[in-house]
This record gives sequence, C-alpha cells and structure tokens, in this order.
Amino acid sequence: MSVHQKKWNGVMLVMPALIFTVVCFLLPVLALLLDAFRVDAPAAHWGLGRFVDFFAEPLNRQVFLRTLRIAALVTLVSALLSYPAAQAIVRVAPRYRGMVLGMMILPLMVSPIARTYAWIVLFGRNGAINSILLSLGLTDEPQRLLFSEMAVFVGLLQLLLPLMLMSLVSSMENLSRDITLAASTLGANAWQVFTRVTLPLTQEGLIVGGTLVFTGCVTAYVTPALLGGPKVLMLETLLYQKVSVESDFGTANVIAVILVLMTLAVNAGLKRISSSRSTV
Amino acid sequence: MKEGLFSRAMLWLVFLFLLGPFVIVFLAGFSAGDTLAFPPESYSLRWIGEVLVADEFQRAFRTSLEIGLLATVIALLLGVPVAYAMSRMPPPGMGAIKQILTSPLIIPAMLVGLGLLRHFVLLVDAPVFLGLLIGHIGLLTPYAVRVVYASLVNLRVDIEEAAITLGASRLQTFFLIVLPNIRSAVIAAFFLAFVTSFNQVPVSLFLTGPGISTLPIEMLGHMENSFDPSIAALSTLLVLFTMAFVLVTEKVLGISKYM
Repeated sequence: MSVHQKKWNGVMLVMPALIFTVVCFLLPVLALLLDAFRVDAPAAHWGLGRFVDFFAEPLNRQVFLRTLRIAALVTLVSALLSYPAAQAIVRVAPRYRGMVLGMMILPLMVSPIARTYAWIVLFGRNGAINSILLSLGLTDEPQRLLFSEMAVFVGLLQLLLPLMLMSLVSSMENLSRDITLAASTLGANAWQVFTRVTLPLTQEGLIVGGTLVFTGCVTAYVTPALLGGPKVLMLETLLYQKVSVESDFGTANVIAVILVLMTLAVNAGLKRISSSRSTV
Repeated sequence: MKEGLFSRAMLWLVFLFLLGPFVIVFLAGFSAGDTLAFPPESYSLRWIGEVLVADEFQRAFRTSLEIGLLATVIALLLGVPVAYAMSRMPPPGMGAIKQILTSPLIIPAMLVGLGLLRHFVLLVDAPVFLGLLIGHIGLLTPYAVRVVYASLVNLRVDIEEAAITLGASRLQTFFLIVLPNIRSAVIAAFFLAFVTSFNQVPVSLFLTGPGISTLPIEMLGHMENSFDPSIAALSTLLVLFTMAFVLVTEKVLGISKYM
C-alpha cells in the first residue's frame, strides 16, 4: 500500500466521527455561543452589551465570584489531602493494590446523584449532624446546614477528589523511591524532601489533577443544585434557572460563553505550563 | 517511620470521606419511615420495593438503558476506526482532528444539551429522544477513541504486516487479527462509556420532555416534590450495582488502567 493510499484510508476512517462531532456537537454549541454576542435593542447588532448587562447585576457578579472561590478552594484542599494519600497508595503492597485502586475508582463510577444524596441525609434538618448536635445539647433547634456554601464545598470535594488522587498516584508511580531516599540520606527532613524533590517531580500530575478538579467544579450541576439550591447558586445552576424558570435565553447564552472561556483558559494554561516544562 | 504513618492515616481519612457517605445512603435507603430522617427509627425493605415497582422509575430506567446502549454502540462504531487511523495511518492534520474530536471533553456538558435543544430539536422539530441520543454519542466518542487507541499503540504492527504478506486484505486483517487482540480494551471502553451515559445529568437536563426522562433526571425531579426515602433507596441500589460492576470489571479487565 502506497503512502498516499494509506493517508487516504486514514482520512476515510476518521471522517464519520469528525463529521458527526462537528455537525451534531460543535455547531449547536457554537450557535449558542454566537447568540450571546447578538444584541437586539435598540437595533439588532453584534456587541458585548449582554455581557455588560450580566456583570452589572450584583447577583450575577456574586454567583461568578462564588463559582471561582469554591472551585479554587476545592482544588487547593483536594491537592492538600491527595498528596499524602497518594504517597501512601504507591507504597501499598502489591496484593492490596487492586483493592485500593477499586476503592479509588468506585466513587467515580457511582451516579453523582447517589453520591450527593448522602450529604442531604447528613446535612438535612432531620439529618445526622443535626441529630448529634441536638442530642449533645449543643443546639436547641436544628441548624441550617444544607443550602450553604459549606455544603456545596464538601459535596464537590467528595465528587472530584478522586480525580486529583488518581492523577497524583500516576505521576508518583514514575517517581523512583530511590530519589526521595537519597534526599533524606543526604540530610533533608521530610518537609524538605517534599518541597524540593517530590513536589517538583510530580508537578505535572498536580497540574493535570488541578485542571480536572477546577473545571469539574465549574461545570458541576448536580451537587450545587442539590446542596446549594436556589440560595447558593453557581454558574451552572444559574444557567439552568435562567432557562427553565425565567426563559431568559439571552442571559443563559452569556453564562454559556463564560463557562466555555473559563474551561478553555484553564486548559490553555495547563498546556502552556506542561510545554514550558518539557522545553526546560 | 513517622512520615509513612502520617500518609497512611491520611489515606484512611480520604477513603472514609469518599466512601463513608455510601454507608449513610444505605442506612437511609433501608429506612421504614415516611420521611427522610437520620438515623432512621426502623429498618425495612419497604422503599426498595416501592422504587422497583414505581412506574415512573421503571420507564426512566428503560430510557436510560436504551440511550446508554445505543449511544455506546454508535460511539464505538465511530471511535474505533478513529483510534485505528490515529495509530496506524494518521491522516494529514491529525493534531487539529484530535482537537475537534476531544472537544466534547472540554465543552461543559450542559451547553451541549442546551445547544441541541435550541438549535436542533426546536429548530427542525426533531424528536427529543434523537437529541438526547446525539448528545450522548458525542460525549462518549472521545472515551471510545482514547481507550481503544491506548491499546492499539501497544499492539505490535508486525502481526498485521505478517497477515497482509500472507494474503489477507486490510479488512480481514482488522477483523481477524487486530480486533481479537484489542478485545478487552473494546469491552472496557463499552463499560466506561455505558456508565458515563447512564450517570449523565447535564447533557440530559434540557433534552428530556414529556414522556422521555432518564433515570437521573427522574430522580432529580422526584426530589423537588417529595422528601420520602425513595431516592435513598434508589441510590442504594445504584451504589450496590456499581460496586458489583467495578469489582467484576476490575477483576476481569483491570478497568482502572483504562481510566
């Protein structure tokens, strides 16, 4: 088979998926995004008017900042928890390995509704935490725990932590134990070994995991919907409310553009960091 | 070693945080009361039984199953040829093609649902089911490509060349030589894609309508109107089902290496 023929075959094999993705997936989304730049009044024209209106509304600004704040916090805390846990996982004896991996991927495969539901049971008015508080006499009446930023934070952390954990485990597996051992033999304390050796060498896993967790927070719907409710809106729940409650498609399109820009920015940042690393 | 002790303790804490909530869902799912309270006053199989016979959940389960199976099969039919081309005969502009094909992983899924609703279902008056199916296929195709590609890269090219030298056609070689060798990756891709579709919420959110609802969407709707433990019971069933599923696929396929 000639090189030319081979290329042609490759094109034919890729074509169906390519056409499908462009026509059925990208075009509808692009049309949606373009609509955000169309302003109707006073005369129909293209512009950023809708964005100006969106950010002029204090509630929208609040939702935007809350989304960033929660996503950043979840990313940070998941990294802090995952580093020591990942270190323990790579040291697990091979025969328990499968079990530990299974425990790590199980939460990822369970329906997000089932996973979020546990927190409703815990945080609800008649939930576990309120029962404990009442029986200990720490409070006289059930506390409002659900529909708070704290509840959304905890729910998202539980939802997305496994992604950070998996990404750190896979980059630590490539880090030879000898290197950290050498560092400590040469007199580094545990903290120095971590900051000078482990952290720089697992940077890539941290960045990949961080991107997954951050974008996961920004684009999560179920968790903020169930644990935040209409009181603690994030961008995705605000978008849903605009469409299904207010039929305000104009604002929904603006949120859509903001969501895409946020995920693209994080992914582009990731690519830049990893490519600048590989050239060093 | 002190440091090892600290990280082991953290691991247990993390697993408690990740898996502990499932225990709570189980206890709530087996409660006998009319409303959700924790801890439940008494335990029974009452709600498990009720969700199994409830019409709306049965119908939604069937829709989820249909969408999941159809979308997964079509995603594999689209994705396996791409994975093969990428690993054996990359077409010109592979970088750009890859970017387009993996875009469903980057685009927030809710926008896909909204885009398909506004610019497909409403535009050409298409059935909602079709919109739902298209959204799911698009979402699953990148998974199919990624898992199968990873396996094809590790498969030696010589055995295919040997088959061709011995007179087999390209097509025969693929079905008789390549496919049997990447079988477990294809099965793993099938399972991963199906689970992804079955649990999917944001894409389906705007693409459900009268008479068509997937199980997760039906569960969300039920939660808005009622505080009975039926969602806890359904969640219990889903968690148990997933546990069995992960156990089997991890044992047979080692599915964690494909994730």
